[in-house]
Order: sequence, then structure tokens, then C-alpha cells
Amino acid sequence: MRQVWRYVLAVVSVAAALFITSALEQYTDITPLFYAAIVVSAWFGGRGPGLLAVVLSELAIDYYLVEPYYSLGLGPKPISFLVVFGLLALLTSWMSTRRRSAEEALREARDELEMRVQERTAELRQANETLRERANLLDLTHDTVFVRDMNDVIMFWNRGAEERYGWSREEAIGQVSHVINKTAFPAPLSEIKAELTRTGRWEGELLHTRRDGSVVTVASRWALQRDEHGNPVAVLETNNDITERKRAEEALQKVQTELAHVSRVMTLGELTASIAHEVNQPLAAIVTNGNATLRWLGGVTPNFAEARQAVERIIKDSYRASAVISRIRTLVKKTPPRNDLVDLNELIVEVFALAQNEARRNRVFLKQQLKHDLPQVRGDRVQLQQVILNLIINGLEAIAKNKNGAPRELSIRSESDDADNVVIAVSDSGEGLDTANLERVFDAFFTTKPDGMGMGLAISRTIIESHGGKLWATANSPHGAVFQFTLPTGAESAS
Amino acid sequence: MNNDAAAIVFVIDDDESIREALKSLIRSVGLSVETFASAQEFLQSKRPDVPACLILDVRMPGLSGLDLQRDLSETNIYIPIIFITGHGDIPMSVRAMKAGAIEFLTKPFRDQDLLDAIQQALERDRHARSEQADSADLRNRYESLTPRETEVFGLVVKGLLNKQIALQLGTSEITVKLHRRQVMEKMQADSLADLVRKSEKLPQKGT
Repeated sequence: MRQVWRYVLAVVSVAAALFITSALEQYTDITPLFYAAIVVSAWFGGRGPGLLAVVLSELAIDYYLVEPYYSLGLGPKPISFLVVFGLLALLTSWMSTRRRSAEEALREARDELEMRVQERTAELRQANETLRERANLLDLTHDTVFVRDMNDVIMFWNRGAEERYGWSREEAIGQVSHVINKTAFPAPLSEIKAELTRTGRWEGELLHTRRDGSVVTVASRWALQRDEHGNPVAVLETNNDITERKRAEEALQKVQTELAHVSRVMTLGELTASIAHEVNQPLAAIVTNGNATLRWLGGVTPNFAEARQAVERIIKDSYRASAVISRIRTLVKKTPPRNDLVDLNELIVEVFALAQNEARRNRVFLKQQLKHDLPQVRGDRVQLQQVILNLIINGLEAIAKNKNGAPRELSIRSESDDADNVVIAVSDSGEGLDTANLERVFDAFFTTKPDGMGMGLAISRTIIESHGGKLWATANSPHGAVFQFTLPTGAESAS
Repeated sequence: MNNDAAAIVFVIDDDESIREALKSLIRSVGLSVETFASAQEFLQSKRPDVPACLILDVRMPGLSGLDLQRDLSETNIYIPIIFITGHGDIPMSVRAMKAGAIEFLTKPFRDQDLLDAIQQALERDRHARSEQADSADLRNRYESLTPRETEVFGLVVKGLLNKQIALQLGTSEITVKLHRRQVMEKMQADSLADLVRKSEKLPQKGT
């Protein structure tokens, strides 16, 4: 349809040109209005209508406007005129069409550009929206999330962090994170940073101090962000408050250790206290009855009946005291030493978990160097656990007392020697032992602690010796002491 | 120990052997003994109103000896206490002594130490009881005074002369003299000085 109208336009415009030119013949040239008609037709109609307009103009001029009038016949002069007109008309039509299509192309290009711009704007808005939603999500989480640069200066601080630590976003950003949080690390910071650089991640428990001075334990996860060249640029730190869980765990652990303690390895000290009470009661009754007997017999008129009853009670109480002792003896006999296959590395890891709180409290780093494929030993798991725990706690207490400025480190090493023995060594950087005391510390009731019973090492040595091993102490260099024990491997003792 | 017949020694210990032995020892010197297996049992018993003391084991299931000491003092029941214990430590004995215990003995103890402590405790209780009786007696006498006699008593011990008292109470000197004689008689005071001393012993004076 449009196609047809374009050609109609060519016809109409040429007709109009013819009409006006005929009407104004004496005032004007013949051609200008026909050029105009051709331009209009080519412009609005395109190439086809343009050419039609050229042909129609040619015919119209030939027929109506040059001699001979009203005939298509031509004299030589009008022919050259018409040829020149025709050529110029064709040129005009072509230029008009070209110009038109160039403009068309330009407009299309512009339109497309505009569309692209709109698309991009929409995409950008979407991206911004998503980003804002994600940032809001970071604010929603209970976890503390913050981002710090490679100098530990805080760049981002979510609402969780504001609530957890009491510092607002404005206050926190720009501060050094470990300073504002007074972070206590489970290992030297240099080691943590080395791991972060190596693997891009770090996980561990940290102690943070809030604005109000209270301390929280957090499970901390660090992730390293790198730029396109692989250079580290920032660290994302996510912290999860585990203070309550920690407290519950500690309480549970305490109960468990106590239970294990009471049910399996009642220390000699506790046993003596218990025996003392059980035996002391009948003894006190015997003494009192003895005194009463003397008084019943000693008066002016001795009362033999009362004296006899008192003596009978003395005999009864003596039997009672004796029964207490034999009951304890059977109790001890009834507990056969257990003979499990024990993986000492596994045991050390368990004991480390138990000692971790104590270590953190004393600001001591625990280190372990465990030999792979350590042979198993035969023995009583709980007793051996008690020995290792005892050595570690002793070490921690020694370090806690030390004022020599040595690194506060306690390390435990496992290895096997040439003689098929497993060797476990606990080294501390504490105040160390006098050479004179290296052996005496294993004596019962020998202690260097103000509140110590002096039983721990004596019992430990008894346990190790009952397992066929040895326990001894040496000086650590440059500071502290090393307590080590050997145990024959499972293969050896089984044979 | 002739006047000890009326006195009684209470023994609270969860160990029957100890209870029986203590009972025999204390009876051998002519004192009456009553034994209880727990602090609760003692609190529920009906105790005769005679001089007494308490021999108390520190560690017992349920209410401990130290708990009972505190409960008794909080409920204003006064009875001298001698503690006995199987394994006493110093802080525990300090606590018991500070709270007014007579003695803190570790089992097994010397019989003479215990008997001495019992004598001392009964002596103290007897003294406390007579003090208490005196003050109760005084109180009764004071309460037997008529309102007007009470007024006169208050003014007399303040040191006012009969004339001044009469003026203050708006009555005659003769009447005051009569009231004053009544007061002296009822309070069993043989001099003004005695009356003043008695007025000071009263928990609260009627002025």
C-alpha cells in the first residue's frame, strides 16, 4: 500500500509542477518546479518514484512545454534541452535518494545507540539493586562481617559487627581491626598471615574485646581477595559468636574430665582422703569408748556393766575399721588394668583440645609435631591421657610463672626410636628445674607449687612404668624443662 | 558437779558409733545426754528448759553443723556449741569460733578437752539463763506499775525532786511521795541508786 502511495506522490508532484509551470509560463523557467517535484518524489518515495518522476517530467515537458506543443515529436533544439534536463533530473533524483538514505542510516544508528544506552542503564540499575540487596543481606546476618585492607585497616563493617562490638560503621571504618577489637590470636599473627597468603583462607578461634570491655570468643573465617594480577588487596573476615557454646563446651569438658577422673583414675591423694575419713570415724569412737571405760571403772563405785558395754563397742568399731580397709583393698583389686591399642597421636590431639582453654587463659601457644604412622601402644587409654594432660598442665603452669620474657610456647612431639619405643616429649619455656630437682620432682609429695599436692608426677611415673615405659625430665634450652616418656609399641608388648 | 543434775548435753552426729561413745563418756561423769542423728531431728525435738549445750559434728548429710549454728542464731535460740570434726581445716574452725562456738575439736580428741569444754559451755548457758531470768523478772515488776507510778518512776530516776515532780504532774507532794514508795517497793529497790541501776537494766525505759 505504502509502495503505491509513493508512486502516486511522484505522479501528483509532477502534475502539480506541470500545472503551476503552465500557469506561470511567462514568468518562470520551465525546469525548477520539475526538479523540485523530482527531489520531493525521490526524498519521500525513494529511488523508484524518483525515476518515475524523472520520466514523467521528461514526458510532460516534451508534450506540453516545448515545441511542438501537445506532441511527443521533437525538434533538434528541444531534444538537446530534454537530454540535458533528463541527465540533470536523474542526477537530482539520485542525489536526493542517496542523501535520504544516508540520513536514514544515521537516524537508525542513533536510534540503535539510544536503545543500547537504555539497555545498559537498565542493566546497571539491576546490578546496583542486586548489590544493595546483597549489602542488606550482609546486614541481616547475625555474623560479624568486615573487610580490611592489607594493613588491616577496616573498609567495610556490617550491622552484625556494629552490634557485636559496639562500634558504629563510622567509628570502625579507618581503624586497624586487631587494635579496635584487641584480638587475641591462637598462633602468632605472622603464621596466620602466611597461611592466608598461601591458601587464600584461614579459619580459627579468636578472642575479641567489645567496646564495653567484655570478651567474646568467635569462630573466625578469613578470605583473601586478590586483584587481576593476583596481588592481595583485601581480607573478608566473618566472625561467629561462639562464647556461649564455648562456655557450655568447657563446662561439659570439665564434667567429662572429672568423671573420667573419678571413675577410672582416682588419685592416691583422693583415695587417702577417703580412707582417712572412713577409718577415722571408728577410730575416734574407739578412743572415746576407751576413755569412757576408764572413767566407768575409775570412780569410787566402778560401774562394770557400763564399762563392759563400752568395751564391746570398742571391739565392734575395730572390726568396722578393719572392714573399711579390706573393702578398699578389694575395690583396688577389682579394677584390672585395661589393655587397649592406643594411638598416642590421636590421644595427644584429644588432650590438646582439653588443654586449649587453659593455654589460652595463660596466653601460651600450643604446638604439636606428630610423627606420621606412629606405631600404636598397648595400655590404658584414660590413664595415658591423664599422664599427657598432667604434663601439659604442669608445663602451662611453669610458663605462666615465667618472667624471663621467653616465647610462651609449649610443644609436644611424638616419634619412635630405634628400639621400637614410642617417645613423647613435652617441652615448655617455663622457669625450668634445678638440676638437683630433676629426679626429685617424681617423688610423692614433692611440689614447687603453693597449692600442689605433689602427686601428679609421681602417679604419672607409676602409670608409665606399669605400661613398661620410662618417664624422666631434662632441662630445655635455653629455657624451661622437657618431660618425656617412652612406651613399648603394641607389636613388642604383644609378643 | 552436784548442781549438774538438771543440765543436759545434746549430741548431734550422723555416725552412730560416735554418738554411742560420746553418750557413754558424758554419762560416766554424771551428766544427762540426748543424741540425735541429724540437725533436723534436733530441731524437731522438744527440749526441756534447763541449762544445756550442744556437741555438733561439722560435716553431716542434710543440714551441716555450721548451717545449724547459723540457723539457731538467726532464730535467736541461744545454746553454746562445741564442734567436733573428722578433718577440720583452719578457715572452718575460725568461722565456727567467730560465730560464737565454745570449742572446735578434731576427732579423735582427748576426753578431758571435751569434758572441760562441756563444763565451760554449761557454765556459760547457766549464766546466760540467769541474766535472762533477772531481766525478765525486772521487766515483770516494771510492768506491774500503774501508769501514774510509771510516770513518777521515770521522773525520779531523772533526778527530779518530789516538789518538782508534783508540779510537773499537777498533783500534791504527798501523793508523789506515796507513789514513790510504791515504786520502790514494786521494783524491790532499797535506795535511789539501786532504782536508777535497775532502770538502766530495763530494755526500754518508760520515759
